[in-house]
Amino acid sequence: MLEYITDLEKRKKAALQLGGEEKVKKHHELGFNTARERIDELVDANSFMEFGMLNHSDSPEYENKSPADGTIAGLAKIDDRPVVVQATDKTVLAGTGAAVNGRKSHLITNFAVKHGLPIFNLDEGGGLRMPDGMGSDGISSKMMSMNLLKHGRSVPFITAILGDSYGSPTWKAVSSDFAVQLKGTCMAVSGPRMLEVATGEKISTEELGGWQLHAKTTGQIDQFGDDEEQCIDLMKEFFQYMPSHADEEPPWKETKDDPYRLVNEVLNIVPTKRNRAYDMKKLIKLIVDDGSFFEMKPFYGEALITGLARLNGRVAGIIANQPIKYAGAAGAEECMKATEFICLCDSYHIPLVFLHDIPGFRVGSAAEKESIPTKIMVWNQALAWSTVPKISVVIRKSIGAAYSNMCGPNMGADFVVAWPTAEINFTGPEVGINVVYGRQLMESDNADEERKKMLELWEFDSTPYKAAGKHLIDDVIDPRETRKFLCQALEYACSKKGTKSKRLLANWPTGF
Amino acid sequence: MQQITSSMAGNVWKILVKPGDKIDDEQEVVILESMKMEIPIEAERGGMVREIKVNEGDFVNQGDVLIMLE
Repeated sequence: MLEYITDLEKRKKAALQLGGEEKVKKHHELGFNTARERIDELVDANSFMEFGMLNHSDSPEYENKSPADGTIAGLAKIDDRPVVVQATDKTVLAGTGAAVNGRKSHLITNFAVKHGLPIFNLDEGGGLRMPDGMGSDGISSKMMSMNLLKHGRSVPFITAILGDSYGSPTWKAVSSDFAVQLKGTCMAVSGPRMLEVATGEKISTEELGGWQLHAKTTGQIDQFGDDEEQCIDLMKEFFQYMPSHADEEPPWKETKDDPYRLVNEVLNIVPTKRNRAYDMKKLIKLIVDDGSFFEMKPFYGEALITGLARLNGRVAGIIANQPIKYAGAAGAEECMKATEFICLCDSYHIPLVFLHDIPGFRVGSAAEKESIPTKIMVWNQALAWSTVPKISVVIRKSIGAAYSNMCGPNMGADFVVAWPTAEINFTGPEVGINVVYGRQLMESDNADEERKKMLELWEFDSTPYKAAGKHLIDDVIDPRETRKFLCQALEYACSKKGTKSKRLLANWPTGF
Repeated sequence: MQQITSSMAGNVWKILVKPGDKIDDEQEVVILESMKMEIPIEAERGGMVREIKVNEGDFVNQGDVLIMLE
């Protein structure tokens, strides 16, 4: 028997060599950690239980060069919570996907869904392995995994792009609930070498799929890390706001932060001068537990802020306008960002808090070319189908259609309240006066004076007291009591069934 | 050396500091005028103003350097 055990140990030891000493050394020299080192960084000590350690390529020529077939997978714990983890090993055949590692990934993903374990991907690599995938038989047997296409947000799907990624790792990242990219890496459909032949385009990996492109232009990645440790920390931090699976609520986190704490500092943050901008992030950090706010897509669609925080220990998703960016006016990117975030929160039972300061949508030919009417309505549709508790606070402006998108009255909010500084209207008074009285003013001898008088009247009409008087909104609150109001309102809104939603958005796409 | 850049496209409406000024973290240094709003630009971290790269009335794009700090 001992002989057999020695043989087994020898085989397992060989698997731990990854792609061999030389390749591992080169990988380290390039500044990267190996797949196994990455897993160690991510999971609790001694918790990793590997699946498929003895795998290898099913092509005879690669049999001895492909430990674990280039994918390290198994079960582990993160902060004592069970998870599934998969890491691509770049030192084995460039981290390419093939029949054996595909089978392993498929089976462990099924396990995760069946038993309600979140899936963590530590990814990079060159897509489908060649020549394995070549020919009609090759490609026919290696199509997209249905697990990826129909995961229905049943368990959180969390991906890090830790090296240049083409094909499969890219598909996983954009299908994830949370994706983080290591700065300096590229994420794209296919790499420069394929492009050279396909179209003749010569482009650097940075321009093709570098972090700045995804941060500012595509919005396909949610956060970015300067090094691998930071990327992994960001995955773990995101996970703290997530339930392990869709049948439970996100975890509570006890806080010493008084739920009724007055936020007197708002008086210095939000100017009463209506055309003076301020940084909404300061306001958010002031209101939430312990000043802790986990922002999603911070550099994309910057006129709208989305992120996760807690209110009296309960996880909440914040959607807020950002007046220092485009005066808070939302464009197509902001709409897509909001829609995606609403889908995330609704799928994982995270109540939503809306903080309004929006002068409207970005208008003009540039916005129309980006199909902004469709983007506005898809955001509204997501909101209308969402069934998590929703609370809306109008800080300053909330104008026109945007008032609906930010969950104003009749949009399914459990509470809509306003600050005394709120300005609620169909359009800004200057614009409204120009549309309605434009001709009269043009023909007037005293246009400036008349315009000024009209402005005074129209501003009066925009105060929140008219809406509050007719119970079109629920109350006007003291801004210093915003945290107290939100903590109380959430508690009451969750008294029957917690934050549980019907998950009607769980099957909506993972990007828009 | 630290740069303070414009958070969005707009006109430089007011410059609130001059070369040699010592400024604190999060101090407002420039106010832009854009989309009929006054957009304050803050220094992320404090320092001494070494050079002001723009004049009042200038148009700036997002990311343009406004002020160099030491």
